[in-house]
Amino acid sequence: VCTSRFWFNYRHVANTLSVYRSVKRLGIPDSHIVLMLADDMACNPRNPKPATVFSHKNMELNVYGDDVEVDYRSYEVTVENFLRVLTGRIPPSTPRSKRLLSDDRSNILIYMTGHGGNGFLKFQDSEEITNVELADAFEQMWQKRRYNELLFIIDTCQGASMYERFYSPNIMALASSQVGEDSLSHQPDLGIGVHLMDRYTFYVLEFLEEIHPASQTNMNDLFQVCPKSLCVSTPGHRTDLFQRDPQNVLITDFFGSVRKVEITEETVALDRDLAAFESKFPEDELATEPLKYAEQLPVAQIIHQKPKQKDWHPPGGFILGLWALIIMVFFKTYGIKHMKHVF
Amino acid sequence: MAAPLVLVVLAAVTVRAALFRSSLAAFIAERVEVASPLSAWKRVVEGLALLDLGVSPYSGAIFHETPLIIYLFHFLIEYAEVVFMVTDVLTAVALYLAIQDFNKVVFKKQKLLIELDKYAPDVAELIQTPMEMHYIPLKVALFYLLNPYSVMSCVAKSTSAINNSVIAFFILATIKGSAFLSAVFLALATYQSLYPLTLFAPALLYLLQRQFIPVKLKSKSFWLYTMQYASLYLCSLVVIICLSFFLLNSWDFIPSVYGFILSVPDLTPNIGLFWYFFAEMFEHFSLFFICVFQINVFFYTIPLAIKLKEHPVFFMFVQIAIISIFKSYPTVGDVALYMAFLPVWSHLYRFLRNIFILSCVLIFCSFLFPVLWHLWIYAGSANSNFYYAITLTFNVGQILLISDYFYAFLRREYYLTHGLHLTRQDGTEAMLVLK
Repeated sequence: VCTSRFWFNYRHVANTLSVYRSVKRLGIPDSHIVLMLADDMACNPRNPKPATVFSHKNMELNVYGDDVEVDYRSYEVTVENFLRVLTGRIPPSTPRSKRLLSDDRSNILIYMTGHGGNGFLKFQDSEEITNVELADAFEQMWQKRRYNELLFIIDTCQGASMYERFYSPNIMALASSQVGEDSLSHQPDLGIGVHLMDRYTFYVLEFLEEIHPASQTNMNDLFQVCPKSLCVSTPGHRTDLFQRDPQNVLITDFFGSVRKVEITEETVALDRDLAAFESKFPEDELATEPLKYAEQLPVAQIIHQKPKQKDWHPPGGFILGLWALIIMVFFKTYGIKHMKHVF
Repeated sequence: MAAPLVLVVLAAVTVRAALFRSSLAAFIAERVEVASPLSAWKRVVEGLALLDLGVSPYSGAIFHETPLIIYLFHFLIEYAEVVFMVTDVLTAVALYLAIQDFNKVVFKKQKLLIELDKYAPDVAELIQTPMEMHYIPLKVALFYLLNPYSVMSCVAKSTSAINNSVIAFFILATIKGSAFLSAVFLALATYQSLYPLTLFAPALLYLLQRQFIPVKLKSKSFWLYTMQYASLYLCSLVVIICLSFFLLNSWDFIPSVYGFILSVPDLTPNIGLFWYFFAEMFEHFSLFFICVFQINVFFYTIPLAIKLKEHPVFFMFVQIAIISIFKSYPTVGDVALYMAFLPVWSHLYRFLRNIFILSCVLIFCSFLFPVLWHLWIYAGSANSNFYYAITLTFNVGQILLISDYFYAFLRREYYLTHGLHLTRQDGTEAMLVLK
């Protein structure tokens, strides 16, 4: 997710596209990637090299290749859409490419970059997402069984504040800088006129270029990327919510789509299970003649039933009491002498 | 005097019958100003239907009428229109007779005070003459029957008409002097809607006056009479409530009727002050504010009793007005009842200060109620604040009307004893101000 727009935030788009490129290269198809770019740098009128987004000066690496598929573009990148993608609470008309169709066996990688502060990340210069909202969104995902394990990488100023509030299990988080520190950009390109990448993502990209689908590099190596000497800010990470030891977690668990394939040479018989299944449920011996529709409901009985007259009547005692009182009041007021007229 | 009354009654019945037969009847029947959750006819029908199905009508939160109303309408439901017209007529006739008697009492008292030289010498123009008092009872009946508010209540078949008639009979019984009947009708009125409890004080004061018992806290005869009246009232109330138990063999009606009146759970908009306030109140505070609002109704009784000790019927008028402004589910039918009394104090006209503006306020607000309701509910271009503003204005108008009459009454009393031309100590002209 790239959350910044405007030409001078070129580097955020380049960051996002580099990570996109790496995960695609390592095997994750576009149908499994949701790419959100808040602005179009490749076709920006200020781009001297249209249709390209470079990650390294001297235009060594064009991360905007031929097959970039942007799912949420421009003004569609909002906090609401981002949270809806994460939690799956999307209107039914949303196309599949805009959905995160994950289940409880999916490992999810979330990479966010942009301008941030202590506890928030700015979206498009008009709104923010807070670390609390993000933590709650992840909790929703956990409760809806939308992920097995989740890797959260954020490259913004004071990025570590964004993962402070996570409380759902199986989340590992990396950030480019601690609270109180700014993440700095790498180097400007004088030909394009803007900074091309942020330091942290630059070194992460360098690291990821070395990974191939079969590599056994684990998370601890990722934590070592970009030490303070190179990055000026101190990258941070959080593994307390993660159940496995980071030592045992492969990079390709999150960044690549590596399937475990076991090749076997023995044949497996499927028939015997079917036979066992069928023997449990014998043929129905009860009904021999099919029932006619009309006999199933006692319609004749129902329609000729007289409706029960449940009329309510006030109880006799009440009527007696009421009228006795009224007569008593009447005679008390007007005197007993009227009694003889009644009788 | 019977013939003009009969004429007025016929005219009123014709107007109501004509409206019953017209298409306006359905429209008026669902107006919230006329039909509150306590008095709506729809709910009576619903309750009786539930009863026919074998379910207690109090089991849902729809039906909030007392068992005696169930009994009354069980047999008369087909003649409902006639019942309500007859109720209105009975109310008017009761008020007519009551005011006739009251005029005699007023006149006698006035004569007594003149002979005792209690009045200042120059107040001849303030004294009421039998000539001008002759038509007051007719005007009262007229005001009640032809008041658009009571016509609308009748057409909507709102049971506030029954409330009004019981209170009217109570007033008649009190003015005639029969403590027993007055206690019985007051118990019925309290049983019907809780608030006429406050009318105990003016009735007691009037009856004491009639028996020539002075209202002194140390006097034994005062306490004796008070105890008698209170015990009559409480006994009849208890008897009526126990009798209602036997109608359905359950005490369900107590939380449904009195619990509903006191705790105001239904916040349907009406012309009162409760609904808006409690719609926006946090749960935490609602109990406190319910207590405050309900105490507000009962609160004015004691101070008014102290001030209006000598004038219990005026006290009764002010008390009825206060009930109909501050009760939890007021309708315009309640407003019609105290407005019927205004001709009795037409001699205060020269002292009323704001009567023009107040009548304009009341008339405009009555016209604006359906307009803003339409804008809020149907057109969607207004919201509840608009309707509440009109409610508030209407109630403020009513309160100012009552306080204006109160001021005028006290001012007249003051002038009667101190003379019309008041002078201060240094001889310049003085002005009476109500503090």
